[in-house]
Amino acid sequence: MTDGTTDGLDKAAVFICHCSGNISEHVDIDAVKKTLKAEGISVFDYEYLCSSQGQSLIKNKILEGNLDRVVIGSCTPSKHGTLFKKCVQETGLNRGGLEIANLREQCAWVHPDRTGATEKALSLLRAKLKRLENIEPLEEIKVDIAQQALVIGGGIAGITAALNLADNGISTFLVEKDSSIGGQMAKIGKIFSPDKLAEECAMCSLSPLMNEVAAHPKISLLTWTEIESLSGSAGNFMVRLKKKPRYVKDSCTACGRCSRVCPVPVEDEFNCGYMDKKAISLRFSQSVPKIYCIDPDYCLQLNGEACGKCATACKTGAIDFSQKEEIIELNVGAVIVATGFEEYDVSQKPQYGYGIFENVLTQMELARIMGINGPTKGELLRISDFSKLSNAPKSATCTSGCESSSDHSSDNSSGAETPKRIVMIQCVGSRDEKEGGNRYCSRYCCMAALKHASLIKKKYPETEITICYIDVRAFGFYENYYRAVQETGVNFVRGRPAEVIEKPDKSLVVRVEDTLNQKIRELPADLVVLSAAMVPSPGTRKIASVLNLSQDESGFIKERHSKLKPVDSSLDGIFVCGTAQSPKDVTDAIAQAGLAAVRARAFITDSPKSLDNEIAAINQLLCTRCGECLKCPFNALSLNESGRVVLDPLICTGCGYCTELCKDGAVQVAGFTKSQLKAEIEGVLEEGDMLGFVNSGIASLTCDNIGNSVLTYPSNVKLIKVPTTLVVGRDLVLHAFKHGASSVLFVEDPPDSPRAEVIYPLTTSHFKKLKEELGDSGSRIYFKKTYVPNTKGLAGTFTSLAREGEMIK
Amino acid sequence: MKAIESIPDRKLLLFKSCMVGQEYPGVETATRYVFDRLGVDYCINDEQSCCTGIGHYTDVFEGLTTTAIAARNFAVARKCGYPNITCLCSTCYAINKEACELLNTNTEVRDKVNSIFIEKGFDDLVYEKGDMNPRTNFYHAVEILLSKVGKIQEEKKFDFSGIRAAAHHACHYYKVKYLDVVGNPENPQLIDTIAEACGASPVRWYEDRTLTCGMGFSQLHLNKSTSLQVTKTKLDSLQRAGVELMIHMCPNCHIQYDRYQPVIEKEFGVEYDMVHMNIAQFVALSLGADPYKVCGFQTHSVPLEGFLEKTGII
Ligand SMILES: Cc1cc2nc3c(=O)[nH]c(=O)nc-3n(C[C@H](O)[C@H](O)[C@H](O)COP(=O)(O)OP(=O)(O)OC[C@H]3O[C@@H](n4cnc5c(N)ncnc54)[C@H](O)[C@@H]3O)c2cc1C
Ligand code: SF4
Ligand code: SF4
Repeated sequence: MTDGTTDGLDKAAVFICHCSGNISEHVDIDAVKKTLKAEGISVFDYEYLCSSQGQSLIKNKILEGNLDRVVIGSCTPSKHGTLFKKCVQETGLNRGGLEIANLREQCAWVHPDRTGATEKALSLLRAKLKRLENIEPLEEIKVDIAQQALVIGGGIAGITAALNLADNGISTFLVEKDSSIGGQMAKIGKIFSPDKLAEECAMCSLSPLMNEVAAHPKISLLTWTEIESLSGSAGNFMVRLKKKPRYVKDSCTACGRCSRVCPVPVEDEFNCGYMDKKAISLRFSQSVPKIYCIDPDYCLQLNGEACGKCATACKTGAIDFSQKEEIIELNVGAVIVATGFEEYDVSQKPQYGYGIFENVLTQMELARIMGINGPTKGELLRISDFSKLSNAPKSATCTSGCESSSDHSSDNSSGAETPKRIVMIQCVGSRDEKEGGNRYCSRYCCMAALKHASLIKKKYPETEITICYIDVRAFGFYENYYRAVQETGVNFVRGRPAEVIEKPDKSLVVRVEDTLNQKIRELPADLVVLSAAMVPSPGTRKIASVLNLSQDESGFIKERHSKLKPVDSSLDGIFVCGTAQSPKDVTDAIAQAGLAAVRARAFITDSPKSLDNEIAAINQLLCTRCGECLKCPFNALSLNESGRVVLDPLICTGCGYCTELCKDGAVQVAGFTKSQLKAEIEGVLEEGDMLGFVNSGIASLTCDNIGNSVLTYPSNVKLIKVPTTLVVGRDLVLHAFKHGASSVLFVEDPPDSPRAEVIYPLTTSHFKKLKEELGDSGSRIYFKKTYVPNTKGLAGTFTSLAREGEMIK
Repeated sequence: MKAIESIPDRKLLLFKSCMVGQEYPGVETATRYVFDRLGVDYCINDEQSCCTGIGHYTDVFEGLTTTAIAARNFAVARKCGYPNITCLCSTCYAINKEACELLNTNTEVRDKVNSIFIEKGFDDLVYEKGDMNPRTNFYHAVEILLSKVGKIQEEKKFDFSGIRAAAHHACHYYKVKYLDVVGNPENPQLIDTIAEACGASPVRWYEDRTLTCGMGFSQLHLNKSTSLQVTKTKLDSLQRAGVELMIHMCPNCHIQYDRYQPVIEKEFGVEYDMVHMNIAQFVALSLGADPYKVCGFQTHSVPLEGFLEKTGII
C-alpha cells in the first residue's frame, strides 16, 4: 500500500538530537551529517529536539521544505515517541511518515567506542530512511463507545462505583442477583473505622447510599437479576440479563401483612440460616428496593398447593403469581465487576467442630446475632440454647407487627444463656498452606475479631474473651484500635489452636499451644468464633467465567497490574473492584470502587476512541478467504455475512500471529509490514552483524534499560523492533542472513501479563518451527526471554553472539 | 495433594513390613487377597529388606545407613520391573519417600551411598539422580484400596451396615509428607471412605482424631507411662463416641491399640468395647475372606470373635 509518493527520499529529512552531550559525546554528529548530506539528504541537528524550540525547528523545516517524511535520531521512542508523533502530525504529515532511530539507549550509551557508535548511528538512520522509501501511511481507526455503563454486584463496592459513575453523568445499570442491594456490609451490624476507637452503625452509612442508588435519575437498578452472557467487545458490549420474577408488583408498600399470614417458614440466608423468615419476605428491613419477594422454592401456591394467603392479606393487590422471567439486553461501553466475597467454608477444618458442635460459629454469624435486626434482636446468646428456641416455627404466633424486623421473630425469655467465655480463632482458612486452605491473609478478620470483642465487652463487661492469633494484623491506623481493645481486658493467646472439644453440657474447650511460652493450654468456652477467610463469592467465580476474565489461583478476579492498573481486568473495558478482586475492608473497597468508576468513565467518554493503529490489516485483494487466520488467539478475526475476513480493531492486539498463518501475505501488521521490515534489515545490516528482533513491549524496555544501566555491548549488535517475534517469518530471517547477519536473536516478553500469557507460547513454538524449517541455518537463530531487570544477562547474550559473528567474519 | 486418579494399579512392589510379618502377618495376606480380587498387578520380592524405620526412630540406624538401604531396595524394585513401591506400613512409606528425596537432591549423600556400593562391588545398586520419583513411585496400600473403592463396593459379600467404625490414619502417612496426601491432610478420609464402601458407618470426626496412637517408637519403651496415657486418651474418646471397630493402616498403631488395650484396661482399671483391625483385613472380610486363614485374626490380642459373630461371619 502506498500513497503514490514512491519518489524516493527527495522530500525526506533527518533530525539528530544532541541530547546535551548524551548522544553527541559518543556519536560524531558532524561526521554523520556529512555522510548523509553527501548522499543528498537534508540533515538538521539540535541540542534538545524535545524542547519546544526543538519541536518548532522540526515543524518549520517540514513546512518550509514541504517534507513528506522525517527521521528523528534521538532517545528511545518509548520516551518521546508520542511527543514527536504529535509534533509532526500538527504539520499535517501522516504519522506513517515519521521514523525514530534510537541513538541514545541503543547506541550512544552502550557503545563506548566513538567510531563504532558513529557507524552504528549511521546504520540506524539509514535503516529508517530505507523504511521510508516506500511510505505506508497509517490510517486512523476510530470506534464509537456506547455511552452507558454496567455495574455487576450491589455490595458497597458496586454501590459506590454506580453512584460515582452516575454523579459523573454516565447512565449506569446496577445489577444485583439478590432481591436487595447492600451485600455483606448490610449484615455486619457495626463497622470498625480506622480513625476512631468506636464502631459505627453499618446500616446508618449504607442505607442512605442504597436509597440514593434507588433515587438517582442516572441509575437503573435491576435486582433479583443475573448476567446470562456477555458478547461484543470493549466499548460495545452486549449483555443479556435474566430478571427473575418477584411475584410482587412495584405497588408493594412493604407493610408486611403478607409475611405475617404466610404459613411457610424458610431458612434466612441473610441471617445465616436461622428459620426466621417466610416464603414471602424482604431480605432485610432496610432493603432497596423495598418490595417483598416470594421464594418460588417454598411458596405453596407456586408449588401447586392452593394457598394465596398473602394475596388475600395484601391491601394494594401487589401479589402477582403470574409474573414471568424477563430477558433484558443492554448495550454498554464499560463494565465494572463488584461481585464480592463469601466466608470460607470452615467445616473444611473439622478439628474446629463447625457444623458438628452447635456453639461454634463464624464471625459473620456472630455479627448477625449481635445485629439488632438479627435473629436474637441483638442479644448475645448461646447458640445451643437459642436454636432450641427458634427451631419451633413461630409462623402463626408471630404477632409482632414491628416493621423494622417483622420477619425476625424471637422470644428469648425462656432460659437462653449469655455466653460467659468466648474464644475466637483467627486465620481459619487464611495464612494456611495446607490443602483446602488459602495462603493469603484475609485482611478483615483481625479487625472484625477486635471489633466484636470490643462490642461484647461494652455490652457485657463480665464476658471473658480470648483471641487466639498468629499475628494481629491491625494495619495502619487500626493499630490504635487494637491498643484500645487490649486495654478493655481482652486476652490474646499467640497460637493456632489444634482442636475444639465439646463437653456434654455443650460447652467447649479450645486446645492451643501458647507459642510465647510454649505451654499447651485448654481454654474453656461457651462460644467459639471462627474468623473465616474471605474467598471469592460464587457470583464472582461465575462472572469471571461468563466474562472470561483472568483469575488468580484462589479465584479472585485478577487485575492487570497490581500497582499500576489495580482495577483493570484482563479485558479492555472491564474493570473490577471490592472483594471480588482481593480481600479487603469497606474503606479499601470504597476507595477502589471510586477508581474503577473513574477508569470506566474515562474509557466511555473517550469516544470515538482512536485506536492504536499498529494492528492487523487485511488486504482483501490478496485474501483467498481460506480462513486460516481465524485461528487468531484473541478471536479478533471473523468472517462477515459476505464471507470476507474482517478484523475487530478493539480486540486485535497486533501480535502478528495471523501474519504467520496467512500463506498469501494478505494479513500484515500496519507499521511492521514485510516490505518495511525488509527495508529496515537492508538498511541496518553490515556483514557479520548480529541482528535482534525485539518485542516492542517488555523486551524493548529491557534493551533500553541496558543503556540506562551503563552496560555495554559491541556495536555490531543491531536491533529491530517488532510487535512480537511472530511477525518474523522464514523469509525475513533468510533476508537477514543474505544481508550479512551472522546470527539472528529473537528477544521476547515473558508470559507475565494476560496478553503475554497467550502470546509467549506461540512465540516459542513459532521459533522452534522456524529453526527446523531453516535446516543448517537454523543453528544461527536464537531465542531469549527477558525481564526488565535482566539487563546484564541480555547484554551478555548480545556480546557473546556478536563475538561469534566477528569470528566468522 | 495426591490425585486419586494418579494412583497406579500396575507394577506395584508390595513392600513387606517387618512389623506386619512379625506381629500381624494377616495384614499382608489380607492385602494380597484383596489385591488379587481387585486385579491389581503387584509382586513381592524376597530380596527386599527391612526399611530400618523402627531402628532409625529408636536411634539404632543413622540417616546414611537408612538411605543406603533404601537405595538398595529401590534397585530391587527397579530390577524386577515393579518400581511403584507400595507399603503396608506408614513408616516404611515415609522412610522410603524421604530417602528418595534425599538421594535425588543431596549430591553428597548420593555420592557417599554410591561409593559404598561400588567399593563393595555392588555396582548394580548405584542410584542415579531421578531413578525414582518421590511423588509418583511411593504409595501406601490404603491408597490403592481407595482408588478401587467402587470395585470394592461392587464385589462386597458382607455388608457391615450399622457398624460404628472409626479410623485412625497413621501419622507417618499424613503428617510427615503432608503435601502428598490424598485429600485434606488435616482430616484424612481414606479409611473412612473405604470402610463406608464396605457398608460401615464411619464416625467421621471424634475428639483427638488427629492425636498419635502413642507408640512413638522408643517412647513406648523409654516413656511407657506417657505413651500409654496417650493411647488411653484416644481409646477413651473412641469409647465416648460409641465406636465398636477401630480401623488403622499401620502395624505400629495396630500393636499400640491391639496389644496394649488389655494392658491399659488392667493398669488403669478401665474397660473398652472396641476391637481393632487393619483396613486391608476389613476389606478382605467384606469381600468374603476367611477371618483366620486370610486375615490372621488369631494373632490379635483383643479377640475379634464377638465382632465376627455379631456380623454373622462366624
Ligand atoms: C464478619 C465480617 C465483619 C466485617 N466487618 C467489617 C468492618 O467492621 N469494617 C470493614 O471495613 N469491613 C468489614 N468487613 C469486610 C466487609 O464486609 C467487606 O469489605 C465488604 O462488604 C465488601 O464489599 P463488596 O461490595 O466488595 O462485596 P459484597 O458485600 O460481597 O457484595 C457483592 C454483591 O454482589 C452480589 N453479586 C455476587 N455475584 C453476583 C452476580 N454474579 N451477579 C449479580 N450480583 C452478584 C452479591 O449478592 C452482593 O450483593 C467484615 C467482613 C465480615 C465477613
Ligand atoms: S402464596 Fe402462601 S406460601 Fe406463597 S408467599 Fe403467599 S402466603 Fe407464602
Ligand atoms: S487479618 Fe488476621 S485473622 Fe485474618 S487472615 Fe490476616 S492475620 Fe489472619
